[in-house]
Amino acid sequence: MLAPSRALASAQETTARRRFVDRLAGIVVSAGGLAIIACVLGILAFIIAEVWPLARGANVRTASSTVIPADAAGAAIADEYRGQSALLGIDGVVRFVRASDGRVLSEKQLVEPSCAPLAGARTVPGASVFTAATRDGHVLLAPVKWDLAYVGSERQVTGSIAEVVSLEIDPKSQPIETYAATVDDRGVVNVAAAVSDGSLVLIRRTVVENAITGERETSLEKHATTLPQSLEHLMLDRQGANLFGTTAPGMILWWRIADGVPGVPSSLPVGDAPVTAMTFLVGDRSLVLGLANGSISVWFPVRQPDQGFVLTRIRDFPPQLGAIRLLAPSQRDKGFLAQDDKGRLGLYYSTSHRTLWTGDSPLPRATALAYAPRADGALVADGGHLVSLDVDNPHPEISLASIFGKVWYEGGERPELVWQSSGGTTDFEPKLSLVPLLVGTLKGTFYSLILAIPFGVLGAMYTSQFMHARLKRLVKPTVEIMAALPSVVLGLLAGLWLSPRIEKAFPSLFLMAIVLPLMVMAAGVSWERLPRGFRGRFPIGSDAIFFILVLAAGAALCVALSPPTERLLFGGSFPAWVRATMGLTYDQKNAVVVGIAMGFAVIPIIFTISEDAFSNVPRSLASGSLALGASRWQTVTRVVLPAASPGIFSSIMIGFGRAVGETMIVLMATGNTPILSWNPFDGFRTLSANVAVEVPEAAHGTTLYRMLFVSALLLFVFTFAINTVADRVRQRLRRRFAEA
Amino acid sequence: MKKRSQSDLLGRSLTWLSGGALALDLLLVIALLAVLAVNGLGAFWQHKLVRLTLRDGTRVLGEIHAEETIPEQSATRMLVKVGNRELTALDFRWIDEANIATREWPEDATLLERLEWGNFYGALVEIRRGGSVLASGPDEVWSALGPLRDQKRREAKAVHELEVGPIDRVNRELERLRLDARKVARQGLAKEEEARRVTEIEHDVAAKQAVYETLTAELASRRATLVSETVIAETVDGKRKEIPVSQIVRAIQPNRMGTAATMGLYASRLWEFVSADPRESNTEGGIFPAIFGTVLMVFLMAFAVAPLGVLAALYLREYAKQGVLVQFVRIAVSNLAGVPSIVFGVFGLGFFVYGIGGSIDALFYRDALPAPTYGTGGILWASLTLALLTVPVVIVATEEGLAAVPRIQREGSLALGATRFETIRRVVLPGAAPGILTGMILAMARAAGEVAPLMIVGMVKLAPSLPIDGEFPFVHLERKFMHLGFHIYDLGFQSPNVEATKPLVFATALLLVGVVVLMNLVAIIVRNRLRQRYTSSAV
Repeated sequence: MLAPSRALASAQETTARRRFVDRLAGIVVSAGGLAIIACVLGILAFIIAEVWPLARGANVRTASSTVIPADAAGAAIADEYRGQSALLGIDGVVRFVRASDGRVLSEKQLVEPSCAPLAGARTVPGASVFTAATRDGHVLLAPVKWDLAYVGSERQVTGSIAEVVSLEIDPKSQPIETYAATVDDRGVVNVAAAVSDGSLVLIRRTVVENAITGERETSLEKHATTLPQSLEHLMLDRQGANLFGTTAPGMILWWRIADGVPGVPSSLPVGDAPVTAMTFLVGDRSLVLGLANGSISVWFPVRQPDQGFVLTRIRDFPPQLGAIRLLAPSQRDKGFLAQDDKGRLGLYYSTSHRTLWTGDSPLPRATALAYAPRADGALVADGGHLVSLDVDNPHPEISLASIFGKVWYEGGERPELVWQSSGGTTDFEPKLSLVPLLVGTLKGTFYSLILAIPFGVLGAMYTSQFMHARLKRLVKPTVEIMAALPSVVLGLLAGLWLSPRIEKAFPSLFLMAIVLPLMVMAAGVSWERLPRGFRGRFPIGSDAIFFILVLAAGAALCVALSPPTERLLFGGSFPAWVRATMGLTYDQKNAVVVGIAMGFAVIPIIFTISEDAFSNVPRSLASGSLALGASRWQTVTRVVLPAASPGIFSSIMIGFGRAVGETMIVLMATGNTPILSWNPFDGFRTLSANVAVEVPEAAHGTTLYRMLFVSALLLFVFTFAINTVADRVRQRLRRRFAEA
Repeated sequence: MKKRSQSDLLGRSLTWLSGGALALDLLLVIALLAVLAVNGLGAFWQHKLVRLTLRDGTRVLGEIHAEETIPEQSATRMLVKVGNRELTALDFRWIDEANIATREWPEDATLLERLEWGNFYGALVEIRRGGSVLASGPDEVWSALGPLRDQKRREAKAVHELEVGPIDRVNRELERLRLDARKVARQGLAKEEEARRVTEIEHDVAAKQAVYETLTAELASRRATLVSETVIAETVDGKRKEIPVSQIVRAIQPNRMGTAATMGLYASRLWEFVSADPRESNTEGGIFPAIFGTVLMVFLMAFAVAPLGVLAALYLREYAKQGVLVQFVRIAVSNLAGVPSIVFGVFGLGFFVYGIGGSIDALFYRDALPAPTYGTGGILWASLTLALLTVPVVIVATEEGLAAVPRIQREGSLALGATRFETIRRVVLPGAAPGILTGMILAMARAAGEVAPLMIVGMVKLAPSLPIDGEFPFVHLERKFMHLGFHIYDLGFQSPNVEATKPLVFATALLLVGVVVLMNLVAIIVRNRLRQRYTSSAV
């Protein structure tokens, strides 16, 4: 036995420990409750954090600044890893310069010193090729080759000039006023040059290698015409098919070149000021013009219904302060850099119409500007300095306007709303409009709710107001099981089983819409007319079985009547009739099929919550109404239904939320084509299905990956709003009746 | 007699109309289950083999799968499974009824289920080993084929054991040595030390390599014996085909089989379906890995979801004072339930896979990078994602369970001096246990059927190994896994041969629906018991 004092002490100790445990448990449980809030907010915050970089602009910082020879900066090219820069000087020398310290690693003299200084030193847009015009009437092309080698784990890049192509433009060695030179992937060189005597010379140089002897045969095609006006700048696309020239008064001329011969140029005014810089964006379709008044605009040819292609001004960027001197396009996207003569540098993106960054150029009087091949840096050079810039510009192609508004894509006839995340070519312009997906989402939701609202609400009303309690105990679990059916199974049945059957017997759906309600009403009323004694012999719930049988028979009848109806009204085949008479497409996997399958998924949600709302209406209200002589139907529709309507509303909202986010059914029962159409016989793609479709293509951190988070954010915010409102409505309703 | 007014009649018919709406809802459920059952259970039934002679003289042997009327014509056509995929390119063929001259059911028509190329339909000619003939003539071949096939099956099993046993072990050793070598290179040890370690590793590699070579040589010779016996079979149009006996899964002559034998075949196929690995890019064989993956994922999820859900429900019912905070928790719960599942998938991908998984890789699995270990979809991430998704289900059911425990019991316990926690642990939680159980079952049923988020965070169409095996540490939570729901999607919509996989898809769907419905029924029954217990004991 313990001494009393010790027992007391131990009891106190136990009490203290128990209190401590109690308090600890309280903390743990509260933490568990708050963890739910943390989960929701955490998910939201995480998604926003993943989306946020899309909204951020770009950042341009000076990485290194080095000293170079005074004449070196005619044009610049960076290697892929930005360890070296190649500079073409107006002295006719290409220098390979180390980025870190400006040391000249190697040099190559392109022309005799007597031919220097070079005029118009620049690079071919989108390629690592220098071009320049010499004093004696030649145009040079010097491709830069970067050789990559690994010494141990260290990367070594060596730059060299492989083969210089020198083309004689004018035998009389007259000065070249302006020129454009390009080279394509197969080494075909196209040059256009305006000579000071007012002629335009086109040269195409083709090298054909004999497959057997290995001999290379060079052929030159040359064509000269007279220029209507004197030109300031020329731009030629890589195929040598389109030549653009600008004139001092601010006109742009466009020649279509067929077989080396330019046609009659079309001319257009570009603005109040002369063009001071011009370049192609990657792909050589979009033309960027910089003007003396600082304005920057993007142009490309657009097909007009009756006039063929017309050069069209697509978009304008906010003007810079001074005349645009230098334009440098990116080699991997539709972005470009522009510097004006006031020393401002700007970073722009054509598709998204974004000005990503503007700031002071480290070299205000720069003579060369180049975008790094991976679009992660840039080079600026002037007479004596070379500055390497870091460009942090992860998601330039996204803006609110480009994901929700119409965008005029290259080659399009008008601004459009398109989702097409990837394409086959390197100069592909990603089209990331969410509008087709939003429309698809609403379309699928709309057709499913058309089915689900009447069936869900009417079914709930009947269950709650007219049904025998014992039957109710059977119906409610059935509906619960309906809700629990995996959507992948619904999608499977819709996609593989239902869609071919609906295609074959579409008119049966119309028939069912008319025949089934009539049959049910007729059957119900006649059931009632049966003598009470006869009816009483059946157990409770046999009327339900009777109804299900009537419906099944009705549905079978409709399917059987479908072919004759189809012959009678739709000329034998409904899909063919839709195509021919209505001029619409008919896909086997269409919105109607999805509507039925998704309606099936939404019915139990609407049913359960509506049933709850009906049952919560106090019995006293209904009893009062019945006591005043109203019929059952009158009581239900005039008294119970209005009282329950907020709950029904909230059930529809929640059903709506479910349909919006449903993925598997849509993924399996539509063709997932992201087209913008309200046609019920078309397929579509929803936001959620889009995530499932695109996720394998979306590498971590890419724009597409973040766009999927944008889709997720939209779905989250949308369903959050709907659920919160629905929840409030239900709570209020419950409280009101609790008081009453 | 009372006279019914016009409006009363309208009201009554409309009442019936709403009843009809309900009846249609129920009819839809019944129809869905019926369609699944018919298509799914029919998948394993062996039809008789029919030989059709067409009007142009060509002959077709196969199983009739479907008949339909040709649109816009009164004629019918039938879909015949003709198999022999390597010879005919398509194993299904539509044949117009009008083109058929005769139908026969030849006794010796044989169906060979093969490991590759699907079913073969035809007649047996002979069995060969090397150049010599072991048996010839349909009957002799048929009786010799059974024992030979059993022997080959044993041999194949031995080969398989060699592959997954010793050879796999050596491969793993080699992989470990490769990682060790990288680790040594990374550690930046002193020159001599590094050289010593490198030599050591190289020595080990050479030894293992030698073992590996002996094992592969043995494997090669065993494989050669495995395919030494071949069956020569002839298709109905006279083409001969040589099939290694080891390639034959089953040889059947359906037209000779009685009802009992057909039933036995049905049972054996059903068992293969649930217990075997898939073959031929999932279009044949079983779905065992998918069942296993689903079950394991669901149980992992249950471990994660149970504490969170129960704690949150306890907080809402027992601890929190009604106020703004509780309102917020309730809104959070209803939103977790309402947010589309694909959003959870995207979150899981970003947070679990790339966020946490990427960090684990960077910390503990640096030598294996850039090949991700945890930084890619896996069963752990999938189950955690689903735990978030299903937590509201557990909360709602647990709350209901807690609410059902009468107030008197709590007050009694508190009056006897128990603390709040003791009351909850000893009185409230046992009373609410059926509610918690209901919630867990419902959550697991939901997780078993959910596919969209899992497509993003860890499922694959064909996982090379199960997440649990004999390799240390036995449970591999980073592994990708197969899942019934995804299997349905993949088979039905990504398969190159949709017509051939249809029966299997429906069977898989039936299994999934069966499991989900069963779990829901159990949950409903448990919940109803709970309700009854307290409605009768209270007052």
